[in-house]
Amino acid sequence: MTDPLALDPVLPLTERSALPFNDEQLDHDERYRHFEEHVTGGGKVESTDWMPDEYRTAVLRFVEMHANSELMGVLPEREWIMRAPTLRRKLALTAKVQDEVGHAQLLYRVAEDLGKPREAMIQDLLAGKTKFHNVFHYPTKSWADIGIIAWLVDAAAIVAQQALRDSSYAPYARTMKKICWEESVHIMHGRDVVLTMATGTADQRASIQEALDRWWGPLMQMHGPRSDRAKDRDLHWRIKAKTSEELRQEFLGIYVPRIREIGLTLPDPDLALDPATGVWGYGEPDWNELRTVVTNHGPKSQERLDFRRANWDATQWVRDAILSAPRAAVA
Amino acid sequence: MTDDGGTEPLAMDFEGAGDGRERALALLLLSMADDEFVIGFSDSEWTGIGPILEEDVAISSLAQDELGHAQALYGLLADGVADDRDADTWAYDRPPEGYLHARLLDHHRGDWAATIARRYLYDTADSTRLEAVAGTSYQPLRELVAKIRREERYHLMHVQTWIERLADAGGESRARLIAALTTMGPDAGTVLAPLPGETALVRHGLVTEPFQTMDERWRDGVGVTFRRLGLAELPATADPASARSGHSNAFRALHAEFTMVRLSEVGATW
Amino acid sequence: MTGAAQAGVLEPWEVFRREKDGDPMKHGGSVMAPDSVLALHYAREMYSRRQESVHLWVVRRTDIHDLADLDLLQPPLDRSFKKPGGYVMRDKLAAAREQSGESKPRANKGAR
Repeated sequence: MTDPLALDPVLPLTERSALPFNDEQLDHDERYRHFEEHVTGGGKVESTDWMPDEYRTAVLRFVEMHANSELMGVLPEREWIMRAPTLRRKLALTAKVQDEVGHAQLLYRVAEDLGKPREAMIQDLLAGKTKFHNVFHYPTKSWADIGIIAWLVDAAAIVAQQALRDSSYAPYARTMKKICWEESVHIMHGRDVVLTMATGTADQRASIQEALDRWWGPLMQMHGPRSDRAKDRDLHWRIKAKTSEELRQEFLGIYVPRIREIGLTLPDPDLALDPATGVWGYGEPDWNELRTVVTNHGPKSQERLDFRRANWDATQWVRDAILSAPRAAVA
Repeated sequence: MTDDGGTEPLAMDFEGAGDGRERALALLLLSMADDEFVIGFSDSEWTGIGPILEEDVAISSLAQDELGHAQALYGLLADGVADDRDADTWAYDRPPEGYLHARLLDHHRGDWAATIARRYLYDTADSTRLEAVAGTSYQPLRELVAKIRREERYHLMHVQTWIERLADAGGESRARLIAALTTMGPDAGTVLAPLPGETALVRHGLVTEPFQTMDERWRDGVGVTFRRLGLAELPATADPASARSGHSNAFRALHAEFTMVRLSEVGATW
Repeated sequence: MTGAAQAGVLEPWEVFRREKDGDPMKHGGSVMAPDSVLALHYAREMYSRRQESVHLWVVRRTDIHDLADLDLLQPPLDRSFKKPGGYVMRDKLAAAREQSGESKPRANKGAR
């Protein structure tokens, strides 16, 4: 072993001093400039790095909404776990919803390390102060919805999530790799449910088509209205890589042919690929509906929040008991 | 308890039912499968609303394990009974009174303390039963039980941790646990109540000890934990003759729920 | 930095390293050291003297609680419903395409 004293100062555990923005000697504006240069140049940020408040807040807001969406996204499908029509579907759906809870856990952990406690995030969600994705504000009316959600809602989500695997915030990027892998199984489960019904009885086919018609509007709204790339701070900080329209085009490009090839139709007469530009045209999504829904005025917003709140309150005693329980003796 | 169980509302079509071996085996498989099926449903009711996110994921895994065991046991039954019923038919296509799960599992989900109490009482009893089936003379069951027992080890570790924590936390936690144990206690022993056909099960080596012996061994083990935690001794089993029949309204409601989609299009593929 | 082990007692420290920005921490190996400061020095020597790491952690081995029980980690019954290989849709897809009169996906087809 080399003489340890010769190595002083060793690379500290909590800061990567090689990165200039971690240098405490510099003033804030200089650190900010170094940080911006690092991130916009494709550099990664770890939770222990120094970061400007604007970046920390932006990542936290983004990850927190993602975590909230996973947690609230559990509820529409959860209602059908008890109704799954075969043992294998029951297992697959339980496993899928379990994964969503697991994703919420992973994402809240990422957010917690940015400085906001999990309890505070859950309380803000329950109080309606923070948001969750539009698609989780709608009712699930039939087993066919379970297929459409697992196939297409998850597909629309995975298109966005794949683009996040390269996020500048490295703990988030790593988490997205794990999540994308798990989501890919959900899509297969969903597509299998849809295919089984599409090749089943006339009533089953009608039920799948009806579910698709109902979910198409929210799916088209899901990635959000077109935005100006230059003005999007999340893009600037490379928290995300693609605009909402890029994500929607990607989703349409992959899934419209897959939907149509199995004999299902889409309820948008303007939906068409322009062969010259390779761009999908579509009827303008109802952005007013999106705004209404994500501000918790959707058809199931309040019911789902009430349900989540009631269950959180009903299990408070368990959390209290575990947190106050004497710790097992440490060796 | 009679040996032939002739009034059971089940049509067992095992070959060579002459000495009662096949029928007794079918009832053993069905009772074990139904137990796992129903507790798997109770546990999966927590999926998405568990008290802690990490625990939510854990209880979902337990539910999937139990349902996986049920699926495998129904599969053995389907293999052994010479008709066209598959595992799903056995699992779903019976009226509520056709299910043979123990009355302990008839209680509705309840709070987290009820879930832990039910899991503790069931898992410890089931583990005792699995020990007695591990050496069964029916080879397919012996092979399956060897796998199931490996998975059930984690269940016991999980529930032991929880019952200790709920009991030791005192206050509301302990009070809720005691209330749950008081409600379910008289039904706890229904898991190990003698099955119709027990004589044949023992005579043919399908189980390696009578249910009475299993029950005593199980109570000894539970007693050690309960005394350490200062919990009251388990009462004797209430009405053991109807341990697996006459199901509750809570189960009927559950049954209506889990057959809803399947009945919406009878015979369809899902 | 805390390294409050008994002075003079060498004990094993497990080393985790990040190879490049954005990668996860991966276990590298271990070093013997009397405290966390020296453990970091030694970890640097053993796991990055050729610049093969950008970030190191050391964790006192006795602070690691391990689980390697295959009954718990690789339970023996079927879990195919959790894995991509558990969903084989080729036949259903062929049936659906045939039913809808298509032979293969037409990615460039316009509106209906």
